[in-house]
Amino acid sequence: MEMALFGNNESGKTDAWRSYERALLPPVRDLHRFDTYVGHGGYEALRAVLTREEWAPGKVIEAAKASGLRGRGGAGFPTGLKWSFMPPVEPGKPRYIACNGDESEPGTFKDRQLMEYNPHLVFEGILIAAWAMQIDATYLYVRGEYADWIRHMERELATLYDKGYAGKRILGTDFSSDIVIHKGAGAYICGEETSLLESVEGKRAYPRIKPPFPAQKGLWGCPTTVNNVETLACAPLIINRGAEWFAGVGAEKHPGPVLYGISGHVERPGVYEYPTGMLITDLIDKVAGGVRGGKKLKAIVPGGASVPVLRADMIEGVTMDAESLRKAGSMMGTAGMLAMDEDTDMVKFLRRVTRFYHHESCGQCTPCREGTGWIENLVTRIDEGQGTLRDLDILLELCDQMEGRTVCALADAAAWPVRNTIQRFREEFEAKCRQSIYAVA
Amino acid sequence: MSDFIKHPVVSLPDRAPEPVFSKEELVFTEAEKEQIEAFRAQYPTPESAVMKTFWLAQEKFGFLPPEVIRLAADTLGIPFSLAYGVATFYTQYYKAQKGKYVLDVCTCFSCQLCGGYDMLRYLEEKLDIREGETTEDGLFTIQGAECLGACGTAPMLQVTNGPYVHNLSREKLDALIDALKAGKKPPFVSVTLPQDEDDLGGNRRSDAEATEVGQTPPAAETFE
Ligand SMILES: Cc1cc2nc3c(=O)[nH]c(=O)nc-3n(C[C@H](O)[C@H](O)[C@H](O)COP(=O)(O)O)c2cc1C
Ligand code: SF4
Ligand code: FES
Repeated sequence: MEMALFGNNESGKTDAWRSYERALLPPVRDLHRFDTYVGHGGYEALRAVLTREEWAPGKVIEAAKASGLRGRGGAGFPTGLKWSFMPPVEPGKPRYIACNGDESEPGTFKDRQLMEYNPHLVFEGILIAAWAMQIDATYLYVRGEYADWIRHMERELATLYDKGYAGKRILGTDFSSDIVIHKGAGAYICGEETSLLESVEGKRAYPRIKPPFPAQKGLWGCPTTVNNVETLACAPLIINRGAEWFAGVGAEKHPGPVLYGISGHVERPGVYEYPTGMLITDLIDKVAGGVRGGKKLKAIVPGGASVPVLRADMIEGVTMDAESLRKAGSMMGTAGMLAMDEDTDMVKFLRRVTRFYHHESCGQCTPCREGTGWIENLVTRIDEGQGTLRDLDILLELCDQMEGRTVCALADAAAWPVRNTIQRFREEFEAKCRQSIYAVA
Repeated sequence: MSDFIKHPVVSLPDRAPEPVFSKEELVFTEAEKEQIEAFRAQYPTPESAVMKTFWLAQEKFGFLPPEVIRLAADTLGIPFSLAYGVATFYTQYYKAQKGKYVLDVCTCFSCQLCGGYDMLRYLEEKLDIREGETTEDGLFTIQGAECLGACGTAPMLQVTNGPYVHNLSREKLDALIDALKAGKKPPFVSVTLPQDEDDLGGNRRSDAEATEVGQTPPAAETFE
């Protein structure tokens, strides 16, 4: 049924989403308990891949490719393709998955809901991916602040081991694979995939230079695949309902169910599950109840603090998928959408964003360590009325010096909001600047 | 003497800082040692167990002064310098003693727009300390926090690396401070999904003590 409803790229532009049936977080009471999950067909996908001929590891990877699933951690990389980068199995050389539940991108709060309400879908997804890539152990990295949710998942994971669904000889087959939950301790950078690997290894989490990529040299120098929690939770859906079903949900080139985390100045903030490719205007006006108190929308950030901000007049007809957002001048990111009303001071907004990146830079690369500090200082100076018009150009120049020149993408993520917020709200910044003696570029 | 030694770039302390915990206090119980052994077994190298061991040590000692870091390192059989480097990288490991209750008020991104700074400033006034400080009775520390992953229920805070308190208001902060003074930590609150409000009557967990749903956020008064 869903296939017919969401089988084309225009799906988000009609009202078909209203009858969408949730798949990641279906409305089932106590779905987080093992028994309820199994009672609703849980772990059937795992059983299928482990016991049926047609689901040899390579076939599962093919299905992931055919589904069109793209990573939900921010970069939107095609998942099946990523899985296929794993080198062939070598005797004596362990293989790992690092499942990314660090969720520290400002404006992002969807993985937490998934881990609380459907942890077994995450575990099942991990185990299916583990079968597909012949993985020995998965480290599920969860940010340290989520202590309560970690305890919750530890309990469910213990049940899983007790019932023989994880660990040695899963479901009585020859396949063994472990899951270990790794608790972080407060550092945004640990969400970056190679930083996460360092953190699991018990080190200061400095991102690594790539190449080598994790598939070649990941955890302890062994082949490793890094995937977001929500990405892996899609795997059981692909096995159960078919790659074709998945590919038919939402936007053609960026398909599937997705968790939108909507926050900021809306009437009804929260995590919503809908197909990709929803109109941004529908998400704000119809799903989240519109802008708070009948105010006018000023701007939105579609997918977490790292992606470019869009002015309200730029979102007409734009849908939540990589293609449409790129054309509009932004990115899908984590689908954690922030809405800002007409009263929002964009200079103060940017000032806080720059403070975040300055605080979270790991300090390894000079352009990032120094640049994020300079940027924060300059934006602060402008906000306090002490800046000059020339500062705006220095800021843009700084962005040039940071983008693409560092070990990891944090420097880029810090530069994009600066560049785009200044470009798209230049009058507001200029209004706060003292008139400069320098010519305006 | 070379110029370099006459003008050292760092001034070295002439002795190690006075330890906070005595030798007698600086031990793990048998049960704790067993737990640490179990952590070790989860990873191919002992270094990897350091983060979990720190969490355990911080539960026990409240914070991680150098002697506790050394204890953790020795128990795992890894170099102290390595362990020290890890402890200082992560903000949730407290390197200095803090209040009994650490209030991490989120002022980032969504919370900034929804009154996070109002909440932070109100707490500062109420407890008569500034961000980063501890009350004289040692009960409360206030900190400004980066996004804690609960933006749908902004503004929010976290109590000592534990429970989240959502949809903050001044009244809610008053009640929280009173409860904490009486030694009552807030319960775990399950944040329900708006779609569940429509489909399931809200709470989908029969084992959740308390639930809340994201509310229309207030207009921020202080926007810093
Ligand atoms: C600075 C930085 C922070 C990141 N934080 C996260 C995060 O918290 N969670 C996440 O899943 N991915 C995060 N990512 C993206 C990861 O590096 C990686 O692309 C992702 O986990 C891969 O999973 P996916 O292909 O399933 O999306 C971050 C990237 C960067 C550069
Ligand atoms: S870009 Fe920034 S965060 Fe990334 S490795 Fe370099 S200094 Fe660290
Ligand atoms: S911005 Fe405060 S929890 Fe995300």
